[in-house]
Amino acid sequence: MNQANRNKLLGDQMGMAQRLLPRGRKTILIALSVTAAGIIGCVILFYMLPAGDRDQALGAILEGILLGGVYALVALGVVVVYKSSKVFNLAHGAILMLLAYFMWWLLAPTGLPLWIALIIVAIASLLIALVIDRFLMRPMIGQSGLTTFILTMVLGFSVIQGIAVLLFKGKPQVMPPIFPSGILTVGSLSIKYPWLSAFIVAAIMFLIFVSYFRFTRGGLAMRAVSEDPIVCQSLGIAVKRISAISWVVGCLSAAAGGILLGSMFPVDQSMGNFAIIRALPVVLLGGIESIPGAFIGALMIGVAERLAGTYIDPHVTGFSQLLPFILIVVILIIRPHGLFGLREIRRI
Amino acid sequence: MLPGGVFNTRYDSDLAILRTKTQWVLLAMGLILLFTAPLFADDYWLGLLIDLGIAIVAVLGLHILSGLCGLISMAQAAFVGVGAYTVAILTAQVGLNSWLCLPICALSAGLVGLVFGLPCFRLKGFYLVISTLAAHFVIIWCFEHFESVTGGFGGLHLDPLSLGPIDLRSRSAFYCLTMAVVVLATFLAKNIQRTPTGRAFVAIRDNELAAEVSGIPVFRYKMLAFFIGCLFAGVAGWLWAYYQRTVAPSHFQLIDSIWYMGMLIVGGWGTTTGVFFGAISLSFLDVLLKDRINPLLVRSLPPDWAGQISISTGLILFGSIIIAFMIFEPRGLYYRWEKLKAYYRLHPYSHVPVPVKEDEEKEGEMDDSLG
Repeated sequence: MNQANRNKLLGDQMGMAQRLLPRGRKTILIALSVTAAGIIGCVILFYMLPAGDRDQALGAILEGILLGGVYALVALGVVVVYKSSKVFNLAHGAILMLLAYFMWWLLAPTGLPLWIALIIVAIASLLIALVIDRFLMRPMIGQSGLTTFILTMVLGFSVIQGIAVLLFKGKPQVMPPIFPSGILTVGSLSIKYPWLSAFIVAAIMFLIFVSYFRFTRGGLAMRAVSEDPIVCQSLGIAVKRISAISWVVGCLSAAAGGILLGSMFPVDQSMGNFAIIRALPVVLLGGIESIPGAFIGALMIGVAERLAGTYIDPHVTGFSQLLPFILIVVILIIRPHGLFGLREIRRI
Repeated sequence: MLPGGVFNTRYDSDLAILRTKTQWVLLAMGLILLFTAPLFADDYWLGLLIDLGIAIVAVLGLHILSGLCGLISMAQAAFVGVGAYTVAILTAQVGLNSWLCLPICALSAGLVGLVFGLPCFRLKGFYLVISTLAAHFVIIWCFEHFESVTGGFGGLHLDPLSLGPIDLRSRSAFYCLTMAVVVLATFLAKNIQRTPTGRAFVAIRDNELAAEVSGIPVFRYKMLAFFIGCLFAGVAGWLWAYYQRTVAPSHFQLIDSIWYMGMLIVGGWGTTTGVFFGAISLSFLDVLLKDRINPLLVRSLPPDWAGQISISTGLILFGSIIIAFMIFEPRGLYYRWEKLKAYYRLHPYSHVPVPVKEDEEKEGEMDDSLG
């Protein structure tokens, strides 16, 4: 590698701590052109449809976008934890399921008012985050990412799943309505109010989290730790505390995602798998380190899922359940670092 | 280290798996005990041992794939399912001989493994794990939705297995068959890691770049590891299908793959002996939990808790055990066993620290080269 290249690389790495959008004009260009091509393709397809089917297609796309907003919030938790501690948290879905069940339990059988329930769920997610960080992640510092990955997987799919079954019996439940029910009709389109409200809440929370990273000192420290934990340690940033904070943010996003998903679908045992399986392609598509990438990826996945549900499911039963996995494999093979992620530079 | 008074004087004595007369006697006695077990064990214990044997065959495959080559697969249960479905479909719908199905099962699972191993051309570390995770769900989806072939959610039924005049329907006969397969599979797995192929796997696990530079075609060997690992899974699936005589998608859950991985972690990463330690200890705990602890809990807790206890205690306990091993003893039970042996052999000087035997069974932790 010659000097100019090395400087470029160094500059790129330093620039990353300051910019939210990752470096490299080419990367952004590719990402934008893929998005644009997708949109143009959709528009062309849309106008090829007969007029009667257009509403159906538009409805599917709209529902997909609303759903995608919630997926973005769920995926944000995975991205935040990954960014600050290089732990890919597969237990995210299970934590989400546990907290959604907890919320249901607080609202329905216990009958607490909504705001008290929200506070209790927030405290619970804080405790879960701190316990996981202190007792499971702290001893694993210095282990490879793969080991912690398997650890979170065992934690999510086995331990937390078991706890949820033990505490809440694993039966499907319906969360009491949090948002006003009813249907909003715009032209020929009809939108369910809970879905719209869930999207709005998810988008607002997403913005809050993103501005936390972008504009506060804590967020800056977090981005710095994601660059190089050892240098940060020597510069006086409390790396362990940052990792704890990132787990708290991750679990809070799981709680919010759980409550929102619970207001759209029934709360049941498979909810955790549902969430993590959607979050995986979202995170991979956006690029694992990229927060805006997660949002765009989530919208794309949501729309793709709804379109598949509308147009392919009648011919192939259950195809929309398979779609996330096909997307995972395709994204991994074609572009493992996603649209906005960092291309891994392999060193010897 | 070797037992006292044993020295390698020739090259083939250095290579041998069994080096002393005691080891030969122990092996012979162990084998005799294994195959005469139906004489004094009842059906309950034989059933447990058959379950254990099938799990061991599947985990041996995973050991070659993950323990030796370092490619973590979360789809092992699905590959077992591929083997089981192959035999169910071929015997029920095509009418093939069930013994002829055994190699076909192994091959079909191996080929499916090759297809889902293709991403390892580009992917490493947890990206590969995610792609095998996706593979698991894709395979199970296929079981569920190609109803005309696989019978959908209800699954398929099989006729009992027989070998000429011998009816293998009884527990004891099937037990002997399973154990024969287990012994054979162990022999193969133990020897694969002593061949150049196995050495290449270990080289790829320890440092992929160094392996490539040393002239090992990395991608080809990774695919070979997937193929061999899934061959074992296919054989396990064949046994499974004839043991249960019914095959349904719900039998091959992600959690089974996690148990297989857990057996590998608890036993010790990268050793054949470790597979046995892990499988036996986790299965023993499972029996203890299901037949002793759970009934006790159900009796002592209020009745409305009874329903979920049988499902949840196992999930919580095994998950916690696997996590505890990952945190406190990533080298697994095998390492503890070797330390115990070294302690015994060095007895009056046991306090002298001695490195544990490191020839062919190098205790491999999941090190940085993987991640």
